[in-house]
Amino acid sequence: MAEATLSGSASAAKAATRQAVQNVNAPLWRHAVFVAPYLFFFVTLLVVPLFWSMWLSLHKADAFGVGRFVGIDNYLRLFRDKIFIQSVGNTFYFVFLTVPALALIGLLLALALNRKTKSAAALRAVYFSSSVLSVTIVTLIWRIVFIGNFGLLATVYGWFGATAPAFLSDPKLTMIGIAIATVWWCIGLPMMLFLSALQQVPREIYEAAALDNASRWRTLWHITLPSIRRTFVLVIIIEIVLQFQLFGQARLMTQGGPNNVSKPIVLYIYEAAFTKWDLGLGAAASEILFILIMIAAMAQYFISRRRGEEG
Amino acid sequence: MSSMSSGRIVGRSTGDRIILVLVIALALIMMAPIAWIIALSLKDNKELMTDMNSVFHAPYTINNYVNILATSSVFRWILNSVIVSGGLTIMTLVLSSLAGYGFARLSFPFRNTLFVIVLLGLAVPEQAVLIARHQLFSWLKFHNTYHGLILPGLAAPFGVFLMTQYFRAIPKELDEAALLDNASRFKIFWKVLLPLTIPAQATLGIFTFLSSWNDYFWPLISGTKKEMYTLTIGIASTQTNFAQSEGLGFLMSQAVFAGAPILILYLFFQKYIVTAVSGAAVR
Amino acid sequence: MTAHIEIQNVSKRYGSLTVLDGLSLTINANEFMVFLGPSGCGKSTLLRMIAGLESVDDGTISINGERIDNLPPGQRDIAMVFQSYALYPHMTVADNMAFGLRNIGLPAEVISARVAEAARMLEIGHLLERKPGQLSGGQRQRVAIGRAIVKEPKAFLFDEPLSNLDAALRVRTRVELAQLRNRVRSTMIFVTHDQIEAMTLADRIVVMNNRKIEQIGTPMEIYSRPASRFVATFVGSPTMNFLPVGLSGENGFARAKLPDGTDLQTAIRLEGINGSGHSLGIRAEAVKLANGTAATTTGKVEVIERLGDRTLLYTRLKEGSVVIAEDVGNSRIAIGDQVALALDGARTHLFNAEGRAWHNEGVGHG
Ligand SMILES: Nc1ncnc2c1ncn2[C@@H]1O[C@H](COP(=O)(O)OP(=O)(O)O)[C@@H](O)[C@H]1O
Ligand SMILES: [Mg+2]
Repeated sequence: MAEATLSGSASAAKAATRQAVQNVNAPLWRHAVFVAPYLFFFVTLLVVPLFWSMWLSLHKADAFGVGRFVGIDNYLRLFRDKIFIQSVGNTFYFVFLTVPALALIGLLLALALNRKTKSAAALRAVYFSSSVLSVTIVTLIWRIVFIGNFGLLATVYGWFGATAPAFLSDPKLTMIGIAIATVWWCIGLPMMLFLSALQQVPREIYEAAALDNASRWRTLWHITLPSIRRTFVLVIIIEIVLQFQLFGQARLMTQGGPNNVSKPIVLYIYEAAFTKWDLGLGAAASEILFILIMIAAMAQYFISRRRGEEG
Repeated sequence: MSSMSSGRIVGRSTGDRIILVLVIALALIMMAPIAWIIALSLKDNKELMTDMNSVFHAPYTINNYVNILATSSVFRWILNSVIVSGGLTIMTLVLSSLAGYGFARLSFPFRNTLFVIVLLGLAVPEQAVLIARHQLFSWLKFHNTYHGLILPGLAAPFGVFLMTQYFRAIPKELDEAALLDNASRFKIFWKVLLPLTIPAQATLGIFTFLSSWNDYFWPLISGTKKEMYTLTIGIASTQTNFAQSEGLGFLMSQAVFAGAPILILYLFFQKYIVTAVSGAAVR
Repeated sequence: MTAHIEIQNVSKRYGSLTVLDGLSLTINANEFMVFLGPSGCGKSTLLRMIAGLESVDDGTISINGERIDNLPPGQRDIAMVFQSYALYPHMTVADNMAFGLRNIGLPAEVISARVAEAARMLEIGHLLERKPGQLSGGQRQRVAIGRAIVKEPKAFLFDEPLSNLDAALRVRTRVELAQLRNRVRSTMIFVTHDQIEAMTLADRIVVMNNRKIEQIGTPMEIYSRPASRFVATFVGSPTMNFLPVGLSGENGFARAKLPDGTDLQTAIRLEGINGSGHSLGIRAEAVKLANGTAATTTGKVEVIERLGDRTLLYTRLKEGSVVIAEDVGNSRIAIGDQVALALDGARTHLFNAEGRAWHNEGVGHG
């Protein structure tokens, strides 16, 4: 276990004496034993698979092994595949449906529930509670709500002699149905992020505004909202990254149907790789997803680094 | 707006009351689907077949729950989930604490470079590594084993990131005092610093447990045998077709039974869960 | 158990920033040595190098003739009290004190005997089962000292241990430290930027500034024969008066021409004084109100500070420089008064533009 030489010693003789120095701050290889166990898993299960996936995406590969190198063939196949293009479109549509809704509803709830009363605390707990459920339970709940003859929605519409919209089978509505279930499931996170941002707005600002006789709306528009602007952007990006990875809801509620109108990219990847066992194609599709998410994550990085600069 | 900031001084205005009523109403609507499936789970299967509206009135029964005890695979799935999520949580805590201490406090060659690489790992979505991981595990014959379900979660950088931040926030004088007290680096980690990280351990532990418990992707492709299903996968497998199922009430009771533990856990550890989930999102 | 500490030519660099530059100094066995200097001058760094918490880039440190700068901190037989106390928050007071002893595998009876003895000495026996979070600042401070005492080290290192206490407690603890010092015979090194702490506690003071040692000496030497203008400015409150002067000689002693033209005969030998841009230093206690004849010069009182036992008068001389004079506690002077000042020429110091100092002979030699 070599010890790094300390810099700055003039002569070789001095350097030799310094070599023996047990400096508490000197870099030592044996200190790395603390990080080695994690790094082992990090490298074998994240770094290697990451590059391996990239490599796979350039090969013809199936369940029995990796075949020949095909260059960007898999990518070309993807772009020629209408269903893949459709799944990208579906994913963007889903993000467009859910992200603004999550951000706005989350913000409104946070504004309404940002008080120190017991009822507000209880309501916060209720709104967050759905977030701890698994996607399986969530979709089970919402299928039972949406399902044709005996769903909750059908029952309620039945009282008024009306027919409920067919969120699970009408091609125009399936994505919206999935989006409703998703917003219901995920609303807790944006609400909490906004709440913690609101709590960081200095109280003196409100007191100053109150002394200036600012009205409720003016305070909201000119003080509260501007001071959580950065959080708003952050929430949008976090949700874009999360909702881009839509999978369980679509697979469990509609199986991507009818006719692929609710098939997102991840479901496409899953089917390509694990039902058709076209691993090369699946890997190529996952690289494209990776790039899309990277762009969003990069934006998040730059915005969260700028945190200090704004108030 | 004064009502929105904290510490309301004197009585509430009408606006506040309206907002409160709206928020409560929305919460009730939000809870309605859950109430709906709880109600269904308490009804006899045959009665539901003939008349859905019977949900709204007696007789209610707990027979469906009794049947779970007798017939369902739910217990096996719960056991699997407990083993997988519990094992992953414990190992994540151990690995992240060790690595967090190493990155935050010890100096070794390439430390900063390695840390940056680990941080970059935060940006890698699961889908970008799944296929290769699956292939790797096929060759290692890890599919349909507990370690096959646990191991991938150990690579996630979030825990290391969180623990490193937490260790960095502990005053360095404590390490120095312990060094002067003749403690080894491991002893400093174990006896002096680790006890101070318990809040972070709770946050990370709950987050890891919850995400593993609810994970619907890796177990779906790795634990494909029915006896290796986790609860999340198992419940999904029962609901492929409501019409032909063992009965709606029974299905719903299974869902309630599966969802209840996590909701109860949430009731007790609400604060930690919220911190954990929001912390992981912002990181 | 005591240590004779020899520091030779020690340097410390952080990258391109040199914090200490070739320092040498000897600390005698059982000596109470204070490192005094402005914040950021490298006092803590030097102390931490002795403790082994910072590496030594150049030079050597030895204790009792044995080189220790290559030993890990735990093996140097040294105890340190940190400014923040650095108590282990999750351990009881007793465990805090016992931790280091357990680590070297002392028998349990020895440990509990030492802890009990230290607790008795510091009057913290009733706190032994508490956690640091349940203690007041002063109590924590005692525990931190107790944790050092139980180790029976060769040397105690204190890094500004009083600076986190409120003013009253600081004075009391200072006195207690002085008493403790008589009971625990051991070498002590105490870092502070507070000159009163330094003056009251030290056997000798090391005044540091800007990577270097400015002066090493007893408190009285430092006070009455500051080796440089920096030391003269830094030690003593209120700070020494400085007046630019022209020098002439009279039977070997310097005679200073003050800015307003008056002459002041000093007791400083002219021989050896070099450089240019001389200034005369005189402490407030050597500037009194003159009753007529003895007056050196006159000034107008601008600020009055009443300290109870004495009064400080900030007076502006005719040409504009300010001189702080001392008067009795119940001084009748009011702001705006024109006063006659008597400067005691025998208690003056001369400095050149580089900061070198010359003093009269004999005064303050300890
Ligand atoms: N780890 C470090 N890296 C870079 N510079 C440092 C470090 N520690 C201390 N310094 C610098 O060294 C100088 C001396 O610091 P210190 O010994 O703490 O001063 P003091 O205790 O006299 O206030 C300061 O200018 C400080 O900024
Ligand atoms: Mg310091």
